[in-house]
Amino acid sequence: MVISELTYVTRCKHECNTENYHMSKVDGVDMKITIIEFQKMLVAASSALNEKIDEFSRIDSLYGDGDHGVTMERISKEIAATSEMEFDSISEMFKDLGKRVMNVHGGSAGPLYGMIFDGFGDGLKGVVEASRDDIHSMFKGALESFSIVSNAKEGDKTMMDVLIVACRKADESKEELPEYLIEIGKAAIDGAERTKEFQAKFGRARFHKEATIGTMDAGACSLATLISGLSEGF
Amino acid sequence: MMKKFMNKPEDLTKELLEGLAMANEDILELIDGNLVVNKKLKDADRVTVVTLGGTGHEPALQGFVGEGMVDIAVCGDIFAAPGPESCLKALEMADKGKGVLFVVLNHAGDMLTANLTMKAAKEKNLNVIKVVTQEDITTAPRDDADNRRGFVGCVPVYKIAGGAALQGKTLEEVAAIAQDFADNMGAISVSLTGATHPVTGGSLAVLEDDEMGVGMGQHGEGGGYKIPMKTSAETVELLMDELLKDLDVKEGEKLMCIVNGCGATTLMEMLITYRDAVNLLKTKNIEVVANMVGEILTVQETGGYQLFIARMNEELLSYWKEPSNTPYYKS
Repeated sequence: MVISELTYVTRCKHECNTENYHMSKVDGVDMKITIIEFQKMLVAASSALNEKIDEFSRIDSLYGDGDHGVTMERISKEIAATSEMEFDSISEMFKDLGKRVMNVHGGSAGPLYGMIFDGFGDGLKGVVEASRDDIHSMFKGALESFSIVSNAKEGDKTMMDVLIVACRKADESKEELPEYLIEIGKAAIDGAERTKEFQAKFGRARFHKEATIGTMDAGACSLATLISGLSEGF
Repeated sequence: MMKKFMNKPEDLTKELLEGLAMANEDILELIDGNLVVNKKLKDADRVTVVTLGGTGHEPALQGFVGEGMVDIAVCGDIFAAPGPESCLKALEMADKGKGVLFVVLNHAGDMLTANLTMKAAKEKNLNVIKVVTQEDITTAPRDDADNRRGFVGCVPVYKIAGGAALQGKTLEEVAAIAQDFADNMGAISVSLTGATHPVTGGSLAVLEDDEMGVGMGQHGEGGGYKIPMKTSAETVELLMDELLKDLDVKEGEKLMCIVNGCGATTLMEMLITYRDAVNLLKTKNIEVVANMVGEILTVQETGGYQLFIARMNEELLSYWKEPSNTPYYKS
């Protein structure tokens, strides 16, 4: 992951101004993620998405209408903007991001991503510094929230294939932070890769039936990029 | 290669909506950048009609805002639904004490936003009933309507619901009328040439010179099949047979018939198509009592059309015949 200029500036600003926001990195077990660290993770995720904007549109053009990159670019801007804003809590930050993303006017991706960030916020309610278990709860929150708007099951070739696999890793992994998060990021990428084997059951792509086998789902691709981007930003 | 008169791709929706408002100052106004609002809404003492959807399908959806049809169209971006926040605002603005009919086309993004909006509307105790239009007959059988896409049928639903509202019907009555009409409509598409996405420049559908696509979606997406090019009458016969079968239309029935040009098909072709449709129906002793012929819901410069029919009766016809004054449909 290339650290963008924005990430660098953000880090400097925060390190100069807010001493009490430093992570406790005495040993792996005690490692926790502060709101500033989350903001850095979001900037990293936004950069990771920005690198793949054209790729998202290219995949979407095969069995959709080819504009997933357009929407993801807008969502990515909202994600990056989070680091320039101030929030009372981590939960509030994610819920605000969810609201902004939900209203980018980007078709289904807006509400779908909006619900994921809103769910992250639910899972981190009351958390001041996130532990490994809080990260677990953050991903569970996302799955719960996402399930309100998506009936997709694993294997239906949707974003759900990434979210379910990432959550399963969060359930099963024995690692501590930061490896725990990195494992979840890798699982998300695997989940997106696996969508190549499936036939689309949701969205416009479903009307192409078995022709969709062999191509990755565009939404799964962007979600995996987001989750692994988050994990690499920590 | 994309060849279109435009400025910055990211400003397409903003600029086209501004243009629509400037060209129709007496009928509608643009509020918040994406709400296209009937100027007479503030005096409305009746059920009102709100709809949502992506842009890039001009004149639909926002071109049918005005007295007798849509009171507020909530616009998203090119082919993309708006977010729930602006839909909720539209519902709040539109409720003049008699309730709001919320007309939604069955597309993934539209439905997601509509469902989230309805949830929020319920929490705010707004008086709203949602009607979903899903009349594309090619993607699923009639009893699996959730997998049928919304085509041009939303536009006659606006007109029927708007007409019923003008006659002073209650929200429950308007919704029942709109739903009953929607349950009795069917549409099928045929395409000749694809279009380019105005933001990405990507191709939306690719067809060879000698073939046509039957049953493709609103954005050139699949669901249908490709066959060699046919004459107008042969094409109409193929499509109409499917429609009549699907809707189980009997001899002696009365229908609405719409030929909706998708963007690059000429009015000449649409008129010939309509003539062929009416003549074919005559041979089956089926009468066309209402119609629309022209570009209604387009997909940029897609060549082709949607053929639409709906079952009519005297009551529906009375709503259909109510006056309407919108930029792209006046009666």
